[in-house]
Amino acid sequence: MSWWQKLLKFGAKKSPWILHYNAGSCNGCDIEILACLAPKYDIERFGAINKGNPKQSDILLVTGPVTKRSRERVVELYSQMPEPKVVIAIGACTSTGGVFRGMYNVEDGLDRYIPVDVYIPGCASHPEQIIDGVAMGIEILGKKSREFEMAKKLMQTPVADSVIDRSKLVKKVGDE
Amino acid sequence: MILNLSLILLSPFVGGLIYGLERKLKARLQNRTGPSIFQPFFDFLKLANKRSIVVNSYHARLGVLHFIGVYIALAMLLMGGDLFVILFVHLMATLFLVIAAFSAQSPFSHIGANRELVLMAVYEPIFALCVVAFYVVSGSFEVSKIVIAEPAFFHYPLLFFALIAAIAVKLKKSPFDAAEAHQEIVGGVEIEYSGLYFEAIYTTKWLDYIYTYAVCFLFGGNNIVLGVGLAFFAFVILNILDNSTARLTYAKSVNFFLIAIFPASFLNILVVSWIS
Repeated sequence: MSWWQKLLKFGAKKSPWILHYNAGSCNGCDIEILACLAPKYDIERFGAINKGNPKQSDILLVTGPVTKRSRERVVELYSQMPEPKVVIAIGACTSTGGVFRGMYNVEDGLDRYIPVDVYIPGCASHPEQIIDGVAMGIEILGKKSREFEMAKKLMQTPVADSVIDRSKLVKKVGDE
Repeated sequence: MILNLSLILLSPFVGGLIYGLERKLKARLQNRTGPSIFQPFFDFLKLANKRSIVVNSYHARLGVLHFIGVYIALAMLLMGGDLFVILFVHLMATLFLVIAAFSAQSPFSHIGANRELVLMAVYEPIFALCVVAFYVVSGSFEVSKIVIAEPAFFHYPLLFFALIAAIAVKLKKSPFDAAEAHQEIVGGVEIEYSGLYFEAIYTTKWLDYIYTYAVCFLFGGNNIVLGVGLAFFAFVILNILDNSTARLTYAKSVNFFLIAIFPASFLNILVVSWIS
């Protein structure tokens, strides 16, 4: 590895920009994420800022047991993020489904749809745990390259496909 | 000449340091530790290693042209060129970004571009009035003549405060940051940029810091200490305002300028020319 590649890797470790998505969470973990950004825990001392724009972010923080309504959005956000990127699942629900596991309206965790790099347990996760997880995510980010990372295939037909398509139901004048 | 050239080459680094200092100051005002002063350069290295997602090639190219345009304007300023020409080159560079924002499909991008256009009509006249004031004091539009004339600040103090408000709009500081509005429209005009092309936009922000504070510095004229003091005063005031005020809507920002800022600066110019 040449010196400028080392320099670029060093930069990647020092400036992780965060995108936060709520995939049907109860807001418990979201409050803890915001506590990380607030003065007491101050995650910005690692260079992290809450960017809110997938095209300029490095770390995707997901909370909540991915509901059927939110799964397409989470895949969409993931595919809009440029590589290298890291996904962190925050809380018991996002890691395994938590108390909602096996219910008809949730998808039992984030890793059915997108590859997850760090799992943070807890209901809700402590800010200290989230900071630890983000630090682990930064380590992984330093090792990744610009290779493509694809979302896994949707396991069932997307919601949009199961909606009745009106263009197939209409008939032309004169048709039987 | 060599001093000017080295200033032009160094200006991105100085601008990055000013931006880093500003982030540190912001963190300290909120009782946080905050990032390192060199954080913008780490961001720069990080963005160089990201994959670029291009919305359309025109959009990406205009982003790079925006950087080049602002750099040319800044170079002309540091070489001591005509201040009106510099103003128009800078305006053109900003318009590149607005056109780029209109070429993308994102509605946030369009809202940001609309607000940017409206606010541009508000802050550019203040910059132009400052140039007029410099002309009245020094008898020339050339920067090299303005820096050896007497300080314009003693004749036009109100105009200087109007310039601080205009800089707040230009640099998207808090009461007047409707064009960027991070929480609502996620950066506005720059939303669709990523990777290397966002790096161009990000670096242009550093150049804009130098450009705007250099206009503050020109109010000091031949008194360098006064000029540096005025630029530092503007820096501190802008950061305190940024951290202590909430965002105005773009219509309210325009109203504030129409009611308070424009009359004050016109009055300043009229009174000075009536007395002398």
